[in-house]
Amino acid sequence: MKRLLVWLVAAAGALVSVIPFYWMVVAATHDGGELFASPPPFLPGDDLMANLRSLEESVHFARVMATSLWTALVYTLLSGLVSAMCGYGLAKYRFKGRGLLLGVVLATMMIPFQVLLVPLFQMMASVGWVDTYQSIIIPFLANSFGIFLMRQAFLGFPDELLESGRLDGAGDLRIFYRIVLPCVRPQLGALVIFTFMSQWNAFIWPLLMLNSAERYTVPVALNHLIGLSHVDYAGLMLGAFLATLPLMLIFLLFQRQFVAGLLGGAVKG
Amino acid sequence: MTSWRRRTVPWVFAGPAAALLVVFFAYPLAASLVQSLQSTERGVTTWAGLGQYSRMLGDPSFLRSLANAGLILVVQVPLMIGLATVLAYVLNTSWLRFRATLRAAYFLPAVTTLVAYAVVFRVLLRTEGGAVNQILGVQVDWLNDPFWARVALIASITWRWAGYNAIILLAGLQAIGREQYEAAAIDGAGPLTTFRAVILPQLKPVVLFCSITSTIGTLQLFDEPMVLTGGGPGDATLTPILYLYQVGFKQFDFGYAAAIAWVVVLLIGGLSWLQFRYFGKEDR
Amino acid sequence: MKTTPLVAGLLVTLAVSSCATGGAPAQPAPKLARSAPAQLTGEISIWSWDVAAKALQRLAPEFEKAHPGVRVKVVDIGYDNAYDKITVGLKSGSGLPDVITLEDTAIPGYAENFPGGLVDLTGVAAKYKAGFDPAKWAAAAGSGALVALPWDSAPVGLYYRRDYFERAGVRPESVATWDDLVKAGEKIKQATGKRLFVSDLTTAAGFTTLLQQLGQGYFKGGKVAVNTPAAVRALTLLKTLKDKDLLQNEKGWDGRVTATKQGKAATQPTAAWWSGTLTGEMAELSGKFGVIPLPAFDAGGGRTSANGGSALAITAQTRNQDAAWAFVEWLLASEERQVSMMRTEALFPAYLPALADPFFDEAQPYFGGQRVNRLFADQVKQIPPVELTGDDTQAQEFLKKAISATLLNDEDPKAALDEAAGQIAAATKRQVVS
Repeated sequence: MKRLLVWLVAAAGALVSVIPFYWMVVAATHDGGELFASPPPFLPGDDLMANLRSLEESVHFARVMATSLWTALVYTLLSGLVSAMCGYGLAKYRFKGRGLLLGVVLATMMIPFQVLLVPLFQMMASVGWVDTYQSIIIPFLANSFGIFLMRQAFLGFPDELLESGRLDGAGDLRIFYRIVLPCVRPQLGALVIFTFMSQWNAFIWPLLMLNSAERYTVPVALNHLIGLSHVDYAGLMLGAFLATLPLMLIFLLFQRQFVAGLLGGAVKG
Repeated sequence: MTSWRRRTVPWVFAGPAAALLVVFFAYPLAASLVQSLQSTERGVTTWAGLGQYSRMLGDPSFLRSLANAGLILVVQVPLMIGLATVLAYVLNTSWLRFRATLRAAYFLPAVTTLVAYAVVFRVLLRTEGGAVNQILGVQVDWLNDPFWARVALIASITWRWAGYNAIILLAGLQAIGREQYEAAAIDGAGPLTTFRAVILPQLKPVVLFCSITSTIGTLQLFDEPMVLTGGGPGDATLTPILYLYQVGFKQFDFGYAAAIAWVVVLLIGGLSWLQFRYFGKEDR
Repeated sequence: MKTTPLVAGLLVTLAVSSCATGGAPAQPAPKLARSAPAQLTGEISIWSWDVAAKALQRLAPEFEKAHPGVRVKVVDIGYDNAYDKITVGLKSGSGLPDVITLEDTAIPGYAENFPGGLVDLTGVAAKYKAGFDPAKWAAAAGSGALVALPWDSAPVGLYYRRDYFERAGVRPESVATWDDLVKAGEKIKQATGKRLFVSDLTTAAGFTTLLQQLGQGYFKGGKVAVNTPAAVRALTLLKTLKDKDLLQNEKGWDGRVTATKQGKAATQPTAAWWSGTLTGEMAELSGKFGVIPLPAFDAGGGRTSANGGSALAITAQTRNQDAAWAFVEWLLASEERQVSMMRTEALFPAYLPALADPFFDEAQPYFGGQRVNRLFADQVKQIPPVELTGDDTQAQEFLKKAISATLLNDEDPKAALDEAAGQIAAATKRQVVS
């Protein structure tokens, strides 16, 4: 009885989550015009290759994916490191300015991004960073969401383990990398997934910064498929579908960290 | 440890982030604060003092947007976190098969690119022939009726973010060692007691995290109303940030937009503080 | 204290930023007056989108051939968020290219709110005034200075389904006024079950087009004019159509295309560019559509309006004004290029001499052999110029609410518009026209 209930919930949740996505796949494999037929198609069509070709032609999709991929990976690596370290510092040390720093972290999370656009753009322009890769990677390396996530993760970490590490003569950095990080692998997995995702789907900022088609990321490129008097729905859906694949890959890779966390237990030292 | 080390070591960890925050956020933050005290008309900027702030009190659109955010906060956030906890619990059930597939499925909505999300939902929510109406066997004008537009908005936000929160909560659940469940079982604790005595205390920081980020997400809600309803019909689904965007980027009233932003910051700050205060006591 | 330097730093940035954002007085618009030097050099960069960008990309090499010293770089920035990019560039005073594309409706807002952001073209372009669509010229020169040169026009006509009209026994030529169309619509609905046209009832687009047909914008002589008899008349017409269940309410562009493709509506009052959508998205409906001029409000009254259309503006951030103007002039004030863009990209010329080209007289098989382009070309000169202001966008937000209240919540048109007029007056610090 209880098992049935669990199964029902699991299946219903999955179905609701996947249906809109399924429709994307349907739309991506049909000719744009067929989507507006009555009734609309319910099964995948056979225009996948044609749509793929036209997508590559219109926005150079392969190059765009490559750009998105490497910028997101670099961002994830750097930002993940910065966030984990800062989160650890905030959770496990008492120092002057800690409260202020935590306040700033929370404040940046609270301030609506839209209002920072103009001054931040001004800043980028004054150092000549408009239309560069660093402009979409560096300003947001200190990801307040990531810092907060990691701080919350490290809070529960037992101080005794740190003490025993110190008694063994290990330095603070060594303790961090060798003892602390391995213990919060589930949260690290989550951090990587969310950091990668935020960069991969970032839209407004890259749109404002990037002017050359050679540097476009996926969301910026897809935006070009929406015109004034023509919208390339098939291309849009196919592009969006392909854009979720790297995200799913990252997710599948790093969710194993969750499993590792489960098997090892969080705090085994 | 020497006192020199005691002072420098924390900054080795926190320094890089602190430096980045100061460089890339201090100036924009300060600029927006200054802007909120100014008024620009036809290119001429004048000092407005707190004029932009007092203007909000008599602005029905802004007040409406706050009320909408309040509604979402009271209805949607608890609904979503409750749902996410249930999903996380289900995903953490050891005997359940295809858990990896299920996790991926729940996560899917959160990774869908916004442009696609907009088109898909508009097609699904179409009044005539839309999949939602066909499945439910009704003729609801989802995006043009003030009441149903709010329902559609709440449902679509929940669709997009419930799985995401479930994954975070799952990470929290998994951080609880199996031994602790076993220990509780040996002590003869039932599932409810286990939940109360073992799971909840350890899950608290994570739930707090989810509820604070969801609160922030709600007060900063922009994407969904922007692409689904544009804040309409009337102001039925207008949110503070969507309004801020319209005021700044469509009406070029950046001073007022900045003032709205700071009021939103204060509200978020206040609400987060309350949540810390009441749910995160052992946190400090 | 660790916090002191931080706080001090914050105060310094505060002071600096207050200079940066507060100290800038309105600059006069840079003026372009003298004629260009014989030898132009340098690179100019242009932002555009959609088919307009394609036209620029196609023609830029021709310009480069004529001016070997100049390189033209065309950037397709996509339409959907183009204005966010332009707004940030104008607001921060940096990051903009030499030339930007602007829709007519966007020009006054930028010209008024960012004085000095766009180059004043009056000195070099005034000689072309008689050659352009007067309504578009008014839009580009609304703030006093001409800040953009008109590109494409968007004369509005009434697209209709030949088969539906036939089945209901309605002769399209007999539809001369909106009253005629309402009656025809009822007949068609009875015969075919189809509504009259597709509309997104939460936007102001339909209302604005009707208002322009009546020769009016949101403001008149600088005063709020959204509750004038003309405005009430326009909204009342929409309400009549809605009350008789003749409006097919669909959300957004995709909704409208879908509904048209599915044949849900018998007519569509819209601009000439709709032809491109029809031929492109629904080739299978070839032969089913025809076009007549927009029905008049009163017999013998004006039968067209405008909906859309763009212009090219030169930004004050350019370092190469002469080359930028040379390109804009070469492209837009030219029969040859304007006709070429009509043929290839279906951009309907705002440059009147181009409309005499025989291309406009060709019969179009998609429209059952009708000379649709000639019909629209003849309308361009008739489009009523209306007053556009920088407050139009803001006014539109209030109007949207009044319109959806009238059409969806059954409020009285006059009462809803009166309320909107009051709100707009308060928000824009203007008076309501009496």
